[in-house]
Amino acid sequence: MAFTLYSLLQAALLVVNAIAVLHEDRFLRNVGWGTDQGIGGFGEEPGIKGQLMNLIRSVRTVMRVPLIAVNSITIVLLLLFG
Amino acid sequence: MNPDSGLGGGLRQPSKRRVPTASPGMADPHQLFDDTSTSTTLLGRGYTAQQSPAVGYPTQHSFLAEPMSTFAMAYGSTLASQGKEIVDKNIDRFIPVTKLKYYFAVDTVYVGKKLGLLMFPFMHQDWQVRYQQDMPVAPRFDINAPDLYIPVMAFITYILVAGLALGTQNRFSPDILGLQASSALAWLIVEVLAILLSLYLVTVNTDLTTIDLVAFSGYKYVGMIVGIVSGLLFGKTGYYLLLSWCCLTIFIFMIRTLRLKILSEAAAEGVLVRGAKNQLRMYLTMAIAALQPLFMYWLTFHLIRH
Repeated sequence: MAFTLYSLLQAALLVVNAIAVLHEDRFLRNVGWGTDQGIGGFGEEPGIKGQLMNLIRSVRTVMRVPLIAVNSITIVLLLLFG
Repeated sequence: MNPDSGLGGGLRQPSKRRVPTASPGMADPHQLFDDTSTSTTLLGRGYTAQQSPAVGYPTQHSFLAEPMSTFAMAYGSTLASQGKEIVDKNIDRFIPVTKLKYYFAVDTVYVGKKLGLLMFPFMHQDWQVRYQQDMPVAPRFDINAPDLYIPVMAFITYILVAGLALGTQNRFSPDILGLQASSALAWLIVEVLAILLSLYLVTVNTDLTTIDLVAFSGYKYVGMIVGIVSGLLFGKTGYYLLLSWCCLTIFIFMIRTLRLKILSEAAAEGVLVRGAKNQLRMYLTMAIAALQPLFMYWLTFHLIRH
């Protein structure tokens, strides 16, 4: 089974879902990745952890609404043709 | 020097490569978008311009009065040009056509030199991309500049060579070409996305654009083609011999090119690197370069007869 563009799209959707499902209070704060934790001081370049937290927060904020639409389209398509 | 004039210059010189040089940069993107987006408006003009010798046309011609048809033609062509304008405006918003033109401003001498550099990068001394008034010099004048012509052509050639290799083993079927193309494209996208993500995580201040990354990761197809062809000609030993040579050269090539882009100024000039930041960037450069041989082997090994 080759890794095709379709599987890439599927994988991307699943990964974005996985990031969006992380819960701020229940999970991220417990492992120390909360919004108010680990932010560097002013003028200090953010480290890898800071960048990763920033990315997760951005994905969770931006992708919430589009994900609902994309996921429901995918579900309908898979129900019909899958 | 202007990237816009690059293709015109490339067109002037008579050479064997002239036709493929022009086609990816200029004809294809424009043609593609003109055709798909203005097909409805172009339809009227298309009938009069192309289908006039067709059988159905004479009856239509007698049916319509002469001034009426000329008016219709003029109307259709204005509609078409309007549509073209709208499309042109919108293309530039989504796909940077003028930026893409820069990457296809190549000529035969450049392509030959670059292929030579990819096959034997050891003697090359100056790897710095030259700039002129804050604009990188077109690939025609600077061998170090990234281009997209070689990657695109090498990608297509890789698909065809893969089909040939499978054909010699009686494993060929037409849909396998599409499968190969889809798979290779998916891996390319994964690679570029991974590099982009790691560049973001390490917070590298670099002038590397996504198109640059596509170009740099596209150069490995040249080595893959060499490997497959030698596998076709000399069997398995030839494949492993030449592929490992190409892996080595692309490794050196990527390290020397990306070092200047990713590492900060001091490190690029050979000053001793200190600090965790620079070390991380050095590891990143090494990792990107080490990724190339893996992909080269992964995308070719199933094409060789075992």
